[in-house]
Amino acid sequence: MTSMPGSKAFLTALMVTAATLGLSMPYADAQVPDTCVKGVDLATAPTSIIGQGPNGEKAASVDTLKLTDEEAAKVKAGKFKVGISMQTVNLDWSQLQVQGITDTLGKYGVEVIGTASAEYQVDKQIADIENTIQRHPDGIISIPVDGTATAATYKKVSQAGIKLVFMDNVPTGLKHPQEYASMISADSQGNGWIAAQILASCMPQGGTIGLVNFGVDYFSTNERTKGVNDWMAKNRPDIKIKQVDFTDPSKVSQVAGDFLTGNPDVKGLFAVWDQPALDTLTSMRAQGVNIPVTTVDLGLESSIEIAKGGPLKATGSQRPYDQGVAEAMAMMKALIGQTPPAWVGVQSLPVVQSNVLESYKTVFKKDPPAQLLDACNAAKPACN
Amino acid sequence: MTESVTPSTASKSGDAERRADMLARLGRLLTQADRPYALYVAFAVLLVVFSLASPWFLSLDNFLNIGRQTALVSIIAIGMTFVIIARQIDLSVGSTLALSGMVAALAMTYVANNWLVGAIAGLGTGALVGLINGFLTMRLAIPSFLVTLGSLSAARGLALMLTNTKPVIIANDAYIAIFGESSFAGIPVPIAWTLAAAIVGILLLHFSIYGRQIYAAGGNPTAALYSGIHIKRVTTLAFVLTGMLAGLAGLVLSARSHAARPDVVQGMELDVIASVILGGCSLFGGRGFILGTLLGSLIIGTLNNGLVLLGVSSSLQLVIKGAIIVAAVAFTRR
Repeated sequence: MTSMPGSKAFLTALMVTAATLGLSMPYADAQVPDTCVKGVDLATAPTSIIGQGPNGEKAASVDTLKLTDEEAAKVKAGKFKVGISMQTVNLDWSQLQVQGITDTLGKYGVEVIGTASAEYQVDKQIADIENTIQRHPDGIISIPVDGTATAATYKKVSQAGIKLVFMDNVPTGLKHPQEYASMISADSQGNGWIAAQILASCMPQGGTIGLVNFGVDYFSTNERTKGVNDWMAKNRPDIKIKQVDFTDPSKVSQVAGDFLTGNPDVKGLFAVWDQPALDTLTSMRAQGVNIPVTTVDLGLESSIEIAKGGPLKATGSQRPYDQGVAEAMAMMKALIGQTPPAWVGVQSLPVVQSNVLESYKTVFKKDPPAQLLDACNAAKPACN
Repeated sequence: MTESVTPSTASKSGDAERRADMLARLGRLLTQADRPYALYVAFAVLLVVFSLASPWFLSLDNFLNIGRQTALVSIIAIGMTFVIIARQIDLSVGSTLALSGMVAALAMTYVANNWLVGAIAGLGTGALVGLINGFLTMRLAIPSFLVTLGSLSAARGLALMLTNTKPVIIANDAYIAIFGESSFAGIPVPIAWTLAAAIVGILLLHFSIYGRQIYAAGGNPTAALYSGIHIKRVTTLAFVLTGMLAGLAGLVLSARSHAARPDVVQGMELDVIASVILGGCSLFGGRGFILGTLLGSLIIGTLNNGLVLLGVSSSLQLVIKGAIIVAAVAFTRR
């Protein structure tokens, strides 16, 4: 490569222009009241299920799924086989679900004959279920990729005399108990409720919060946002709520950053799951904005952010492993001829800096990794 | 435009001739497109409209936001300009970015917790993917659309496999500062890296023999071949450059988010290609300029930014954005 003499002058000119552009950057810190997080009694978090099922039903508690000794013996004698059909196996969430199901069924001598991953594709899931039916299991546990397109295939499952337990959603038109045994889901509204309660504790009277919401019509994210709106309307009507929607999860950083620029009155944020919350933190750091954020779901990155004591204050976490346990229990009830409830809700878990290590263990059923411990140790004694 | 393939004899001529040649090059630098001025006008119109419509648009902070938000696309689009001028396409850039970021973070976790190790690993990974793309395209004569469609999938798969889909946390403060969060001469580093990449791109494309060879290879391959240009090598190098810049973008993104994630920026290749084409580059090769590409990226970024500031609904934003991009391309072309 040959460089011309003029290029040097051009380079200098560019650098001068660039230097004059970056004159100053004001950094804004929000007025966060002392009650922030500390003022919340975590025991007031939902002790029962807040939301309602897809068909307006009330949730039953996980306790209704316990097996008596006699029932357990019946399950063991049955030598049952169960297949699993997931939307993906690439998420912590789905891996924990499958682990919870497999561990629990294994305890009672029920064999898991395979776990199919539909990679979010309806046609792949239809093929997965048809293939599983061909292997003649006694039951199938599945999360539908789509609420309508898979319904006909799931009806074939019950027609083949195979018991069906759903996680999170029931496809349109399936009837309980003829066509499915039970549906187990997280309490999405309860999760939103937790996020709202803790965010509100960080907001001054009459403040404005922003909701970073998924702009696609999807049951569980709709429920979370509804949970936040409902809690605020009931408990903190003084707080004004603004909302920005994203449809492409890879663009959250830009959308949330611009939303904050266009709405400087927003002094607290709720993001509808943990990844958008982390992307929002990225643009907040770049823009020098430091306001409290709460969200739903727990991952390693989000638990580290909470442990550090930064802007991410709390999350209302699901318990995917416990949900898997409940799905396995419901399945075994159905296998021995009982009728478990149409909808069972798994309670939400509030996660803040002071309980993040314990919460990590509760959700992931393993010890916190070194990175989380390091982050927490650096923030002692607030972090536990 | 035939000037792009004119061989340079400037170095052997007198001062006056050299100065004239210099001016011609500067002209090309600013206007290597059919109606480049229309591009500047389109950008200016956009700025005026948003400034009038939103009280928050016209501020230094907001322009820095736009600069940061467009940094990843701009950095990669600079490389893509070379590839498209050479009559090729690279669809793998988003996956290459993700893979490079992952390799950089893993290198710092398992090899040595040093920012330089991460940087070399990330840039090297990007360059390697580019080399494979270039080799398969030029040596085995497989269309680059298919080769890079393959590496789009394979590189993403590799990125996901490395940690079984889990993110890698980055704890190296120097790395985070250098590629993500500090400022250089008052400019946030993502923007500084974009400017650095742009300067290198401008020098390479508009002020070097390599640049003239790329224009020749894409503008008229037969003539280029007969004038002794090693088209295979020149084009392969364009893929390597694009891969390396995707690697640089991977470093910037992972440093900004304090973690490398294997599933980031899916579909970004389309934003990159749109920026390059909007910037006056011909999809059929032989024409394009770096400043145009940067303008293209800025126009799209400004649209994204302004529409959110105005509170336009997210679905309507997509419609408006699509319509304006097509209109802008139509307006800037004959």
